[in-house]
This record gives sequence, structure tokens and C-alpha cells, in this order.
Amino acid sequence: MQIVSGGVSDVGRVRTNNEDSFRVLEALNLFILSDGMGGEAHGEVASAMAVETVEKFCSNPDASKEDSGVTLHGAASDNWSPQTKILQNAVFQANFSIYQSAQKHPEQRGMGATLTTGWLNESKLSIAHVGDSRAYLLRTGALQQLTNDHSLVAEQVRRGILTPQQAEESEMQSVLLRALGANPEVDVEVDEVDLMPRDVLLFCSDGLTRMVSEPEIAGKLQAETDPGTAAQKLVDLANERGGLDNVTVIVVRVQDDSKGWFSWLRRDSGKKD
Amino acid sequence: MAKLSLMFENNVVKEVPIGNRPVSIGRSPDNDIPIDNLAVSTYHARVYYEGNRLVVEDLDSLNGTFVNDLRVERAMLHDGDSIWIGKHSIKVDATADTAIPWDTGRKAAAPKINETMVLDTKARRDMLQQAAAMGERSQFSPGRMKMPTLVVLNGRVDQKEYVLTNKLTVIGKSPMATVRLRGWFKPQVAAQINQRDDGYYLGTGSKIPTVNGAPIQGAVRLNDGDLIEVCGIRMNFIVRE
Repeated sequence: MQIVSGGVSDVGRVRTNNEDSFRVLEALNLFILSDGMGGEAHGEVASAMAVETVEKFCSNPDASKEDSGVTLHGAASDNWSPQTKILQNAVFQANFSIYQSAQKHPEQRGMGATLTTGWLNESKLSIAHVGDSRAYLLRTGALQQLTNDHSLVAEQVRRGILTPQQAEESEMQSVLLRALGANPEVDVEVDEVDLMPRDVLLFCSDGLTRMVSEPEIAGKLQAETDPGTAAQKLVDLANERGGLDNVTVIVVRVQDDSKGWFSWLRRDSGKKD
Repeated sequence: MAKLSLMFENNVVKEVPIGNRPVSIGRSPDNDIPIDNLAVSTYHARVYYEGNRLVVEDLDSLNGTFVNDLRVERAMLHDGDSIWIGKHSIKVDATADTAIPWDTGRKAAAPKINETMVLDTKARRDMLQQAAAMGERSQFSPGRMKMPTLVVLNGRVDQKEYVLTNKLTVIGKSPMATVRLRGWFKPQVAAQINQRDDGYYLGTGSKIPTVNGAPIQGAVRLNDGDLIEVCGIRMNFIVRE
């Protein structure tokens, strides 16, 4: 499956430093995004550590397994593909690295990060995440959130305590139930999605979704076919709206696999029904 | 002054005070705490003061050094910690020292609106319980939703029923589709049913499906018993107990 991708990160209009980090590794089909938190720029340290650990781990999973030395408390299901398991392990290791660093450096205590990763193998996308940075899929015009937010308000929605509307208006939106760095172990949520040609993937920190609505995001992704430009336009829109937080956007487009006249036949078939 | 106690089956085998010099641990007899066991490296780890902090450091041992089940290269020690080397544990007695709890002040402050805060397990449970008590009757069991079923009433598809186990369900001709439409001129993605925090939503694909006879405008939340129709296929959305 052919893809094109692009990513942009911006400090926003209010914050003084950018504590988001990201990687778009097209050679590996690996996408990593992290939103750091913690006083005095330690959020930057945490998010940088998170993305670097995942990049290193996934580039060389066998070597990394030796170093990690921590037992993985993974998803209950053993049906996940090997790639999904490696990705989950990478995020787990990122958590431990941040935690360990804060143990060694008391000034870093309290630092943490979200981490959202996507790894594409043929048409299967492995997703592993902790926190409330999101992955979305745009398919035939509909934008669908792929990751569950590990935030208090999202959990309240899942339990029927709040409606999605109430969650969006809640003052406690940024309270997380899970993040990297708080404990030596963390529950990394994983999922697998089969991608189709013309699908568009979006990874973003909450700096985007707090400022721009989902229909607007879907609109921009459909209108702008170059991923880097689309990412920049979304960042610009978030800033136009106030840019209250750092904002990071990664866009991945799955190319159409149609060839020649046969594709014409297939596309036209929609109208005949 | 702090001390280390080498344990064997709840008995103290050897006690070593920690002074200005590092306390060495390993298989070689010239260690301060020698442990004669093959799982232990010749010079396995050492414990020493750094300022007024007590630190354990692994010396590139083969099997690693653990503090309370956690493998470490270098870590701070607190009173009551256990250092595990091979099958041996070494208790840390640091009652004389000033304890430095690592989360001092981190959760004491009230949550600021613009800052992200991470709740620990107990705080998380308490908060969720409070919220549940205040809120309405909970529709879903914590963390997991009932899996709904699509029951096909008529139309050319590959199964009579589909249990929706995934976050994304495609209705179409694509090989990736869950509900696979048969026929030459069916679209790859006719419609889609996607799971969100508060339920399952039916969305358009290349076609606009109807729910209970009405064409949808944008994604709509599905309720138990809804009738969905698209591309000549009619299905019931059922949420079973």
C-alpha cells in the first residue's frame, strides 16, 4: 500500500514553548506523536524521550528487547499481530524510560506525556496509545476517531455519566487517567485497523481538537490532498481560533490503487445503483 | 545510619551498615555482601550515598538488579525497599534518613483548568465512583460495551448475522468490508458503522443509508431495533444481553 505523509508541530499562540514531539518515519511507515506535560519545560523532555524510545525500539526490536528488561503487561488478547505487539512494547518501554528518568532526576518528577503511535504493515495499521492524543480515520467523507481518550471525561461518557456534549464543555477535560511517566508500568491500549485505498489518517494532539471541530477537520483533509499542506492548514486554523495549546498534526494518505480503465468502471458503478 | 540486610527466607543472613564507602554486592568474596550463587555476577551492584540520597547501581550485571520487582540501572532507595539480586533479597533499612517521597506536592494542588493532570489509581477510582454516584444510571459496564449484532432481513450478503466486534465496520464490496455486498456494481464502501464512546454510529459511504425509513444526514447514533437499509440490503441493529 502506497502512502504519502506529512507532519507539522507548532507552539500555538499562548504557550511559550512547544512540549509536543513527533516523528513521521516514512521508510518504516511509523508515525509517532507525543504531548508532554510537567513544569519548567520538562514536558519537552518527556515527549522527546517518548518518541525517541519508540523510534529506536521499532527500528530494532530484537536489540531493544534485551535492554528493556521489563515484563510486558500487554493486552489480554494474543491475537494481535507481531508488529502490534512490538509497538505496544515500544510504548511500554517509553513509559518506563520517562519514569526512570524522573526517578534519577528529582527535578523531573511530575513530568509525563501522552503517546500515540501508528505503524502500517501492508494494509494493516497497528495503533498503540496512552493518553488523549488522537488518531482519526477519514473514509468516504466520514471522520472516525480510532483511539479512546484516556481522560476522565471520556471515561465518564463511556460509562453513560456524561454526554459527549457535556464532556466537551467540562472543565476537567484535561484530567488524564493514563499517561506516560506516572508509574513504572502503564496499560497501553492497542488496536488494528485494515486500511483501504483513499483512506486518510490523522494523528493530532489535543491542541487541534480543542480549537477545531471534527467536521472542519474532515473538510480540510478532503480539500487538501498534499499531506504536509493539509497538516499546516489545520495548524493554522487552530492558531486562528486562539492557539491555546501546542498543536501537532500528522496526515497520512493511502493512495488509490486504481489502474486505468478498469478503475473508471469501478468508480462509475456507484452511480448505476 | 542506614543498613542493608541480606535475607534468606525471612532470616537476616548478613547486615552491613552503609557509611561513606560504597557497599559492594556480588559473587566474589571480596564484596561487602558476597552472594555465592551462579545467577549473581562477580561484581553485581553497589549501594552508596549521593549527597543525602541512598542509591543502588547495577554494575552491568548479567541478570540485572531489581528494586521491588522493577529492574533498574541506578535508582534511589527508600526505607523498606527490597533489592533483588538473583534469588536473594536485600532489605534497605533507612529509618535514620529523612525520607524523600517522590510525589511530594505533585498531587496536592487543586487541578488547574489549563494544565493536564494525571490521576493515580486510587484517586481515579474515587473520582469515578463519585461521578457515578452523582450521575445517571450507568448504561454500559465499565470500560466495555455490549457488542451489537446486525441481523440481515434481505439482500445479497455473505452472512445472515454480523456481530460488530470492531471499532470500524464497513458495509460494501471491499475485501476489507465486514458486511460484504455481492454484485457487480456495488461500491467498495456503501456505508459504515463506527463505535464511539457513547455508542455505535451509522455513517455514509458512497451511498446514503436510511434508518427506519429516513435517509441520514451525517452520522447517526443507532438504537436497539433500528432498521438500516442500503444498496438493497435491509438489516436490524440489535443490542443483545
